[in-house]
Amino acid sequence: MAPDTTPVTLLPRVYFISDGEANTNPLILLKHLTLLPHSLPCIVQIREKQLTTRSLFELAVESKALLQSKNALIIINERVDIALAALSNGVHLPENACSPYLVRPFAPRMLIGCSVHSAESLRRAEDAGADYLLVSPIFETPSKRQYGAPQGLKKLGLLCNMTSLPIFALGGISLENAGYCVAEGAYGIAGISLFKELAQNPMIFIDTLNHLYSKKTL
Amino acid sequence: MIPIIPFVCVITDEAFCPVTLAEQALKGGTAMIQLRHKSASGSQLYRWAVAIRERCQQYSACFIMNDRVDIAMASNADGVHLGQEDMPAKAARQIMGNSRLIGVSTSSLEEALQAQNEGADYIGFGHIYPTSSKEKKNPPVGTELLQQLSASITIPIVAIGGISLQNAATIIACGAQGVAVISAVSRAENPLDATNQLVRTIKGAGV
Repeated sequence: MAPDTTPVTLLPRVYFISDGEANTNPLILLKHLTLLPHSLPCIVQIREKQLTTRSLFELAVESKALLQSKNALIIINERVDIALAALSNGVHLPENACSPYLVRPFAPRMLIGCSVHSAESLRRAEDAGADYLLVSPIFETPSKRQYGAPQGLKKLGLLCNMTSLPIFALGGISLENAGYCVAEGAYGIAGISLFKELAQNPMIFIDTLNHLYSKKTL
Repeated sequence: MIPIIPFVCVITDEAFCPVTLAEQALKGGTAMIQLRHKSASGSQLYRWAVAIRERCQQYSACFIMNDRVDIAMASNADGVHLGQEDMPAKAARQIMGNSRLIGVSTSSLEEALQAQNEGADYIGFGHIYPTSSKEKKNPPVGTELLQQLSASITIPIVAIGGISLQNAATIIACGAQGVAVISAVSRAENPLDATNQLVRTIKGAGV
């Protein structure tokens, strides 16, 4: 019933996050998913906090059906129950969610990610058994302003050096600055606006990433 | 697991500390506590759930988590209560197995029978009377429908909505196994006494 194990070392390098607009119109997210190129391995986190559990569950099921033939992993924000019921690939736990060690027993084969905003929370997430980390906000961004001042590239580098877990840089990330994050040791890039950048020019998006990870596996 | 004699289920009220309220209700003799909080963070819900589950165990009462199947599993709750806007009972059963109870909120015979078909262990049915605790779109279902339902369903019914000391015994006499209350306990001057009076009122009122 649960999805097969995804070896963490083969995680995609691009991590899209839904923007909460599915609350008013779920079709927006589904359209983004339809536009994902088959050739792009990626992670999609469904993060729609305003939806009822029922609507979120249905959205997760629809998303899975849409991505069936694509190279995408679906991660549900916080709700491991929905991830399990909708046969998603994983769950992402914000800092104020349950710890991974509480979730793991029910989702032994799921990817479990954690949001991390400091060295302390990185260590906590790692000790609790997270599979990957989202570090944010790296740059200035309206959607992350509530989480305080940007961490900056230097801090990103420090955090990347602390762990062998894959870290995705989040917060104000674009194709333009993604290279700096990778240079600091980030495994991949994450963001809401990456959907838009991809839509603007899928060829350039994929080429840029390929170039960025030319010595790594995209 | 579901109490076999008529029982009171106390649902927490977002305006008060759920653990304190649960403690009062348990001392007053409630047999079931439902933790219901739509705005708290996952870690906060988990901490409350564990604290309430421990207290419920002390009093041999049943602890039910509202909506969050994930928190119910992590906190080892006795069960989960699902509204019509929550996860379908079938999906919850698939991920939880048979070791935990599933309750489903319903407000018509059709919804109730569907919940039973999908494997619910009990149904919430209401609102029976007008109520102030939650915004309601539909008119109250009334006691007549409750009687009809009780004749056509095999799983226990927990009636909800506008239940007070004055009407609780009637509700049980109409075929409900339990009565669920929010404000009748949480907004009472003394939640412990309010619970205890309800418990004593419905004792022996069963059909």
